[in-house]
Amino acid sequence: MSDPALFSLAQAAQAVRAGRISPDELLRASRARIERWQPRINAFVSLESDVEARRPGALFGVPLAHKDMFYRAGRVSSCGSKILRGWVANKTSTALARLDAAGALDIGRLNMSEFAYGPTGHNEHWGDCRNPWNADYITGGSSSGSGASVAARLVFGALGSDTGGSVRLPASACGVSGLKTTWGRVSRHGAMPLCASLDTIGPLARSAEDCALILGAIAGHDARDPLSSQQPVPDYVALISKGPPLKVALSSSWIERDVDPEVAAATLAAAAVLRASGATLIEVEPPDFDTLSAHCLVVMQAEASAQHAGWMRERPHDYSSAVRARLEAGYAIPATAYLEALRLRAAWLERFCATTLAGADLYLLPGIAVRIPTRTQTGPQGGPAMPQLLGEVTRLTRWVNYLGVPALVVPCGFDSRGLPISVQFVGRPFAEATLLAAGHAFQRETDWHQRVPA
Amino acid sequence: MTAGKQWSGEAIEAALAAQGIALAPGRGERLAGGLQALLGASASDPLRESLEFDADPPGFLLAIQRCKTR
Repeated sequence: MSDPALFSLAQAAQAVRAGRISPDELLRASRARIERWQPRINAFVSLESDVEARRPGALFGVPLAHKDMFYRAGRVSSCGSKILRGWVANKTSTALARLDAAGALDIGRLNMSEFAYGPTGHNEHWGDCRNPWNADYITGGSSSGSGASVAARLVFGALGSDTGGSVRLPASACGVSGLKTTWGRVSRHGAMPLCASLDTIGPLARSAEDCALILGAIAGHDARDPLSSQQPVPDYVALISKGPPLKVALSSSWIERDVDPEVAAATLAAAAVLRASGATLIEVEPPDFDTLSAHCLVVMQAEASAQHAGWMRERPHDYSSAVRARLEAGYAIPATAYLEALRLRAAWLERFCATTLAGADLYLLPGIAVRIPTRTQTGPQGGPAMPQLLGEVTRLTRWVNYLGVPALVVPCGFDSRGLPISVQFVGRPFAEATLLAAGHAFQRETDWHQRVPA
Repeated sequence: MTAGKQWSGEAIEAALAAQGIALAPGRGERLAGGLQALLGASASDPLRESLEFDADPPGFLLAIQRCKTR
């Protein structure tokens, strides 16, 4: 491999530690690819000119970039919006501060859906982010630039946020690994809020191992986020190759019946790979995705609309039509419906762990149930079929946010048009290490995660 | 179980107006249909009938602890 930009994050960090490559060389390699790819995919909204490796650590000298909603004191964070264009943060997010402490380079701000409130990667204020595998297709959102930049090997990893699928959808559509963390696992201090009950922060990277490296740097309690957990942070990288053989629950009949045939075939093939590597497969009834997704959407709409009430009163025309429509819907959610959805949440989490995961370590299903749609199908010209199509795109992600549990997506194939397909592993609260081990086991046997768009 | 009376575009417009939110022109009817479907799906939750009187939203934090990986 001649281009160091094609290293995995783990390889790049190891090469720097061993003195085989310098941080400057890695940075030059990343910038060379950005120069080539940015006009095609619009993944960055800004590049840092003054980048220097300062702190020794697990990620020393490795170029990363992050969704433009992680604040850094004195730097602009536009959050994909017109409203915050040019807004300068007065604090640094805990996640960025922890990556700084691990020695990572922050080389720029990445494109995203407006206020992280859209599942496709469209953005009328900053331009759509485009899928590196085919620019006519969506990247997924809302962490669109994170997915696209990691897939095109512009950076070695990126932070995203996941409120209803915003890490997993772009990771799935762009063919990279993405981890939605347990609610409370990673501090949200200094990250743009959308829905306090659902917001999580997680990595998108080139492999499960790379996600483990980033998670190890950012996880853990933070007094500035009172909802962050006191749960100890394990050594995710050390655990990735350890542990007994996995027990994997899945719903094969449901996958064959309710999922696009190409996606179903790739998902079931992924399960077969895990079985061949020593896992036990356990057939279970699928969770009630649609009820859980409805509860998630009730909570999401109510909280997002409350978050944006001030601007929606004062300057509604500064939102895109699509985001304004989503926000408008939230003001009609009855408070009783919102609170009832939250009161039901504990019962649903306990049911999921006691039934779906009763004899298993994780639940396996597709990341997205349908093939990746085009930007036209899901954009302003999408027509009357668009709401249903967007519902299908997000059908298998939102339920996870309602339960607050972690989920990992990893690439498991390509459809007949050459667009990525992903498999999703969902676990118990704080089971990130188990999911990363499953992803790593899968990626030891396959090379989907090593495919690079031309 | 249903979510109750059907939502209308006028009802949506009135609900938003009461909160000082101006609805984009022509959007009321479309939002009403979507809201009706969403609230109906949420209200038809099979666990709703057995929801304990004492259940409250912060109970979710305790459930996370009970359900966490060992």
